[in-house]
Amino acid sequence: MKVDVIPKLIKNLFSKPMTVRFPHESIPIPDGYRGEHAYNIDKCISCGLCAKICPNRAIEMVEMPKEYRDKYPKKYPKIDLGKCCFCGLCQDICPKEAIKLTKNFFLSTFDSSTTIKYPLPEKTSKEEG
Amino acid sequence: MEMESISENEYELFFGPAHPGSGNFAVRLKVDGERILSARSDPGYLHRGFEKLMEYRLPIQNAVLSDRICVLEPLNWNLIHAEAVDELMGIDTPERAKYIKVIMAELSRIQSHIIWYGVISMGTGFNTGFKIAFGYRDYILDLFEMITGGRVYPAGYICPGGVRRDLPEGAKEKILKVLEKMEEMLEFEKLENPFHLDRMENVGILKLKDAIRLGATGPILRASGMKTDVRKDEPYEVYDKLDFEVPVRKEGDAYARYWIGLEEIQQSINIVKQALNNLPDGDFIAKEFKKPKLAIKIPEGEVYVRNEVARGEAGIYMASDGGTKPYRVKIRGPSFLHMIPVLEHLLKGAEIADVPAIYWSLNVCPADLDR
Repeated sequence: MKVDVIPKLIKNLFSKPMTVRFPHESIPIPDGYRGEHAYNIDKCISCGLCAKICPNRAIEMVEMPKEYRDKYPKKYPKIDLGKCCFCGLCQDICPKEAIKLTKNFFLSTFDSSTTIKYPLPEKTSKEEG
Repeated sequence: MEMESISENEYELFFGPAHPGSGNFAVRLKVDGERILSARSDPGYLHRGFEKLMEYRLPIQNAVLSDRICVLEPLNWNLIHAEAVDELMGIDTPERAKYIKVIMAELSRIQSHIIWYGVISMGTGFNTGFKIAFGYRDYILDLFEMITGGRVYPAGYICPGGVRRDLPEGAKEKILKVLEKMEEMLEFEKLENPFHLDRMENVGILKLKDAIRLGATGPILRASGMKTDVRKDEPYEVYDKLDFEVPVRKEGDAYARYWIGLEEIQQSINIVKQALNNLPDGDFIAKEFKKPKLAIKIPEGEVYVRNEVARGEAGIYMASDGGTKPYRVKIRGPSFLHMIPVLEHLLKGAEIADVPAIYWSLNVCPADLDR
């Protein structure tokens, strides 16, 4: 075995370790990462293409609760993050850029009801749940 | 029914399916003391039924699904699925897309061979090698994250018609930088290591005659002395324009297979460098697929494409009856023949201690066996 041990040792002593100390520092997340969805209801035209292309059927078109039905009379996508595979096809097919995938990957939770994303976040989840 | 005679020393031993050294796959070993009398593979633990699932989905959704066929090299499976659909629909993919496909497939192959090195090291008790391999693999995963948006699963990055996104700015420099790191790792891996020599030399010898009879392909067949590679024999994408060699060894033992893997990493690095230098400008996806569409009809017909993935020769047979979804999809994974006939043949007469060395030297992936 031919190894130049001492030069390698000195090089390794002064080089940075491969790992990062995660909660304190993290590797930068590049643009175009496929993380949690950001949905803008005012851009949405309720075409339902996102629900049709979703490979895992994680998106369902639902009606809004009664008090919002005057403003939003159509059906809007409800996203189940538990079923989602984060492929980004809904983002690609959306004609109005209403759904976008963000860089947020901190999605683990203790409360299973929070894995479902309603079209209007806080206001509608109580109604159905 | 005849009763089986039971000797005092004979017993049955399970290697897997929940064993740290087997990975969702079981081998039933009939042993006499330390020697294995016969081995029986027991697949089915990871069956997910892709062939049926694909009959209910559009080609663009199947591209996402094809990641999951083999977790360790999803981009290669993306590529072969996209090729099958392209050939069936008669789509001409742009030149730039072909080069990007080759770059991604080769990066995926490097990453998969690094895992191979890692698990062989783990199986033979050389844990440093395992940690170094998985550490260096993360540099390639960083590239995948930048280009496809996901570390392990590219989510159908190589889709029918081309690729879903163009290479981001500065990708070429970053890829070259990572390739430098890979060469640095190869330097370490190519040192003659007593751990590997002791555990793998003259262990699990697969003769060329048996290899052909049992249906071995890819690196396993090349380690037994046959020069064969789908990239050379039947070039797809732009492999005919690239210059690379096919490493061959004659010994056919576990050490030869391990060494073929290391030499292939070097060849893949060369291919990526050439493809990056020749990368043309232009579209990265065919016009009709720029935006995913729901109602694209697949013309009636059938097609079989074969590719060289990291584990051997993979194939997809696809038939269509003219609807929007494929009528039948058959997937030929290279691990199926490596893990059932070849593994059973090699384990017969071996010792229990040699099982991990033989098992991992076949570069197995239970995911593409059970699919």
